[in-house]
Amino acid sequence: MSSTHAATVTGSLPATAPAGIAALATKALTIGAIGIGLTIAGLFVSGGAKVAYSWLVGLTFWTGIAIGMLFLVMIHHIVDASWSTVIRRQFEHGLAAFKWLGLLFIPLVAAALYDKQLVWKWFDPAFDLAKVGGTGTVGEDILWVKKAGLLNPTFFVGATVVSFLIWIWLSARLRKASFTQDFDGDLKWTSHNRTTAAFGLALTALTMTLSIIFWVKSLDYHFFSTMYGVWYFAGCIRAALSAGVIIMVWLYLRGDYKGILNNNHLHSIGQLIFAFTVFWAYITFSQYFLIWNANIPEETFWYSLREINNSDGVPNQWKWVGLFLLFGHFFLPFLTLIHYRVKLSKTWMPRIAFYIAFVFLIDLIYNVWPSKKNELGDPLPFLAVHQLWTITAVIGIGGVCVWAYLKSFPTAKLIPIRDPRINESLTHHE
Amino acid sequence: MSHASEHVAAPAILKEVNPAHFPRATLVENNRSFGWITDKICGIIEGKTPTWWWVCFILACFVASFTVIGITYLVATGVGVWGHANPVNWAWDIVNFVFWIGIGHAGTLISAILCLLRQKWRTSINRAAEAMTIFAVVCAGIFPVFHVGRVWFAWYLFPIPNSNVIWQNFRSPLEWDVFAVSTYGTVSVLFWYVGLLPDLAILRDRFLAAGNKVRSALYGFFALGWRGSNRHWSNYEMAYLILAGVSTPLVLSVHTIVSFDFAVSLLPGWHTTIFPPYFVAGAIFSGFGMVLTLMLPLRAIYRLEDLITQYHIDCMCKIVLATGTIVGYAYGVEFFIAWYGSNPYEGFAFINRAFGHYAWAYWIMISCNVITPQFFWFKKVRENIWFVWVLSIFVNVGMWFERFVIIVTSLARDFLPSSWGYYSPSIVEIFTFFGTFGVFSVLFLLFIRFLPVMPMAELKAVTPQADPHAGHDHP
Repeated sequence: MSSTHAATVTGSLPATAPAGIAALATKALTIGAIGIGLTIAGLFVSGGAKVAYSWLVGLTFWTGIAIGMLFLVMIHHIVDASWSTVIRRQFEHGLAAFKWLGLLFIPLVAAALYDKQLVWKWFDPAFDLAKVGGTGTVGEDILWVKKAGLLNPTFFVGATVVSFLIWIWLSARLRKASFTQDFDGDLKWTSHNRTTAAFGLALTALTMTLSIIFWVKSLDYHFFSTMYGVWYFAGCIRAALSAGVIIMVWLYLRGDYKGILNNNHLHSIGQLIFAFTVFWAYITFSQYFLIWNANIPEETFWYSLREINNSDGVPNQWKWVGLFLLFGHFFLPFLTLIHYRVKLSKTWMPRIAFYIAFVFLIDLIYNVWPSKKNELGDPLPFLAVHQLWTITAVIGIGGVCVWAYLKSFPTAKLIPIRDPRINESLTHHE
Repeated sequence: MSHASEHVAAPAILKEVNPAHFPRATLVENNRSFGWITDKICGIIEGKTPTWWWVCFILACFVASFTVIGITYLVATGVGVWGHANPVNWAWDIVNFVFWIGIGHAGTLISAILCLLRQKWRTSINRAAEAMTIFAVVCAGIFPVFHVGRVWFAWYLFPIPNSNVIWQNFRSPLEWDVFAVSTYGTVSVLFWYVGLLPDLAILRDRFLAAGNKVRSALYGFFALGWRGSNRHWSNYEMAYLILAGVSTPLVLSVHTIVSFDFAVSLLPGWHTTIFPPYFVAGAIFSGFGMVLTLMLPLRAIYRLEDLITQYHIDCMCKIVLATGTIVGYAYGVEFFIAWYGSNPYEGFAFINRAFGHYAWAYWIMISCNVITPQFFWFKKVRENIWFVWVLSIFVNVGMWFERFVIIVTSLARDFLPSSWGYYSPSIVEIFTFFGTFGVFSVLFLLFIRFLPVMPMAELKAVTPQADPHAGHDHP
């Protein structure tokens, strides 16, 4: 396929970045460096294991947003979407964070390999389970022995590396084709990205599932749930859509998106966030309900730990975090976004988006941190000094991701000016 | 939040916008006029009943009689005439119920969700898909009603105070099914009926103009006095949108509850957390399969190629491909977690599915549900109508086998080898199930003979001439 306009090369990239972007990128990197520095300082306060858990939360949070953006870009291409064309470019910039996230994973994996008892206890079969309220060692635990072929450091590192390579490769393909089309207007890039999306969606679904099993679910390697990959997917999409809202409104307020963004874009993305709010609740409820109802100890222990202490059965802080997720991650956004006026508001939508991204973080903390137990088998509390390092890790990694986005921002046109659906997007209406 | 920046001038980038030319497919081909669409759809009802219709109708009635025979024998004798025996005490009855309810869910799901997603191509398939839903729910309902044995006590399923003080177990998903399916059936009929109103009025007026007062009165009665006024259309659009909004969570909840029938149990092979979304994906998959199976012959017989275009077929094939792949993902994750969970019973259940006595059923399921849709990657396949039709039948077959594999293979191998068994259906079960295809066909044939198979007003709204921009890009 070739465009009838293919010969027309329109415009060129600005010689310098749009006003303020370079300075903002520097600020983001500085904040990132401070966040990382503070997290490193946490090593001397709380020790390596707790900081590693914090770092893991930060990585799964920002990688989740990037994965969500990757899914959204590919879904856009595969369904030949129109209204989201003006937003897609910002997601494409967001994909630039993958390689940095991959790099930021290295210290965690290196630390886990250096001290094999640091994070994933199954890294070391000699791990004494008495340290976490159990008996014997990991190597003597039949539930690890059965899955030792998968749960070992080699496979973990391999799966993580392969996953990041696939995400980086897919991102590069999608970005290159989209950015190039701005100049040559060739339809072959639309077709190219549709093809990438077709196999990329399957590849991303598989690698995302495998990654979250390794990174988070295997922290408690006794636990299993077929829903886990879908749960992470739901969270990633919600967080990525929220990031999209924040970026769109920010660009609008800067003036860049004036005349580009209209209320219907916000309304449509608000509807998507609403739909995925329901989807997240559906997935999370189904997982909880089926485990609660069957009441099989080999599954219920995971939720019990997030409600009562293992040692004395006294309710712990995680019970309230769980209840907060129920009301805060479902009912509140659901009841807010159900009103169409809210979805049209450039004041309310970014606030809701920030809130949803924040609760996605709480959801990840809820999944990660209770796996860190004391010698009685009780989870460490939610509110404690170590949570400071989660905050600094999120800020640190976030600073790098925002910097990567802002560095990518001036490398392409503000919107995909030669995309065949750009006019449909610019005039998006009910 | 400051609004000072609201006054910033529009960015210069807008002057550079110059989209590549890639027109969207037209949803009504050959520039057909509004009048042509009305004549085409109404012509199916107004014309003389074709011979093929009578042949099919008589054949369908004959096939449906098998269900009547099967049920009559069952009621006269007892449920012992079915092939159930320890440990498989639940088999074709629930398999067939879930098979039909899956198809039944898909129709409204297709119609409502595509409506909410503003997918205009739905207009050519939604009416038939909604009809399919209702008829499939009718077929599905036969099995739970008659599997209670003494069918005259089936009303005990509802919480109606009675002299025996028999009360339902509200903690059972089977009881939730009763409420969910009956609510769903009601809303589906309403959704379908509301959509029919403008078209029934068109038929009323056309029969009146043709001098057929009886049929005009009949259609007029059901058209509820529709005159096509602005106020009518306004109320209609709002009602339709609300019903679409209500139907969407309802349909998801119904198939979720059907998945709970199994997943809440402790049985290896049934108790798995991914069942709810996996069942919903399967319902969409089988629904589109059935829509293709029904619509492609209809398209050929009534020469509806301008209304059900290659683009529509492409879209449906791609959704079958996507949902089939999601179902494949669920099969894979289930198998993987059966191993990862390290529960020997769970592991055995899955190994047994793939390599045990029912391996033939498992591999039919995999072939039909995972491999078959992969053909739809190829444009040449999607453009070969015969091939698409045959593949759509494979999808239907595969989805029946999915339910058979889940239900029967999990029960047939109990925890103790001394309790193992092998289930084979009795002739009564075969008759009953076979006949439901006749029941479904009879209803569908009556639908295409007496009701408009496509929503005429909605079709007209997606024609190129209805587009105020006449298909041109606009800045």
